[in-house]
Amino acid sequence: MKELTNEELMTSVSNGQLDTLKILFERHHVHVFNFLYKMCGDKMLSEDLTQEVFYKIMKYRNSYHHGNFVSWMFTIARNSLKTHFKRNKPHDDIENVSFNLIAENEDNSEEYSQLQLALAKLNTSDRELLVLNRFQELKYNELAEITGSTPGAVKTKVSRALKKLRTIYFKEL
Amino acid sequence: MKVSHEKIDSLLPLYLAGELDLIEIEMVEKHLEDCKECRDALDSFKSLTETFQQEEVQVPSQNLRLKFLEALEEEKKNQGRVISMNKKPSGLTLISLAKIAAGFAILVGTFMMGKGYESKQAELEYALLENEVLKSKEMAMLSLMDNQSASKRIQGVNFIEAFREPDVEILNALTERMLFDENTNVRIAAVEALSNFSVSERVKSAFITALEKEKNPSVQIAIIKNLVRVQEKKATEPMKKLLELEETQPFIKEEIKKGLPQIM
Repeated sequence: MKELTNEELMTSVSNGQLDTLKILFERHHVHVFNFLYKMCGDKMLSEDLTQEVFYKIMKYRNSYHHGNFVSWMFTIARNSLKTHFKRNKPHDDIENVSFNLIAENEDNSEEYSQLQLALAKLNTSDRELLVLNRFQELKYNELAEITGSTPGAVKTKVSRALKKLRTIYFKEL
Repeated sequence: MKVSHEKIDSLLPLYLAGELDLIEIEMVEKHLEDCKECRDALDSFKSLTETFQQEEVQVPSQNLRLKFLEALEEEKKNQGRVISMNKKPSGLTLISLAKIAAGFAILVGTFMMGKGYESKQAELEYALLENEVLKSKEMAMLSLMDNQSASKRIQGVNFIEAFREPDVEILNALTERMLFDENTNVRIAAVEALSNFSVSERVKSAFITALEKEKNPSVQIAIIKNLVRVQEKKATEPMKKLLELEETQPFIKEEIKKGLPQIM
């Protein structure tokens, strides 16, 4: 049997077949979790937010309009993370917060890989692009949709972010 | 041709990912041949790429799945109230056959019972009750559509699935959402809700009014698709007008060009 696409599954969810969401959850929750973990460095928080993402997909199923499902899902994930940091540290911007999370834990650095530590030193939008492009293997057009940019601009940004990461990463080694 | 390190350096990640065109590839490779610095840079990008691939995938705890399933069950309980009318047929499985058979048995059973006077009384009561339920659904839908929050209004619009034959009041309320709601998503939802009733002349002419008035491309597309589907001849004029307008998005024009011949 042909495997149904994410979009077909999500359309069925928004038509009221809630059980179909289980398949989408199984397919994607580890990706969402890893994206969030790479962004904030906090496992508990990443689990809570992943939970929130799928809850929102379920609640807002009627506002899904046949677009690229993965982009939609990561847009929700990204917004959840942003909202979380806004709520908890109203005077700090996300940049500082996610950086601090890593910095606070630097003494037990075994928890994080060298790569994750290096990524944490990038600014949020660079880190986000690299995590989505390199770990989650999102295409430039999907990234453009998520960040509200164009595929061409995203391609340049990813390439520049990689250059920055290279400098940081090889300095640390 | 001399090219700067700077330029080659920014192309290297794309070179590795196979995202350059032939001319760029040639340029990069030529430069690499006689530039040690850039060869080293290439190696560092390669090893960085490998590091990404080797990065361990973290697995969330089982708790996450349990909580998700719990929330899903909760939602399914609430869902019972809204009946979806446009479910896609998913093929007959054994279970659904059994369900149909059971349904049939109940139908025959009630029919037999219905012969008795008492159950006739019950049927009448049931019909009255059903009518009341419909009325209260209608109230709920109309009040949701007036809500301040856009998501509530969308919810209200989507309530249409609970009605087989919506009355004038509902259709008017939906039309009003489609024409005047400030939120794009609400307008799109309204177009979709109304699309199930496009045989009605009232709805058709509402679509045409909306097409003349609408400025947002996503909503325009939804309206055009519907008008093409029902092959509404009266829509040709406003569509042609959109074609002539300079501000109309190119993909909208494409859609119209595709659709127009089907109507005419």
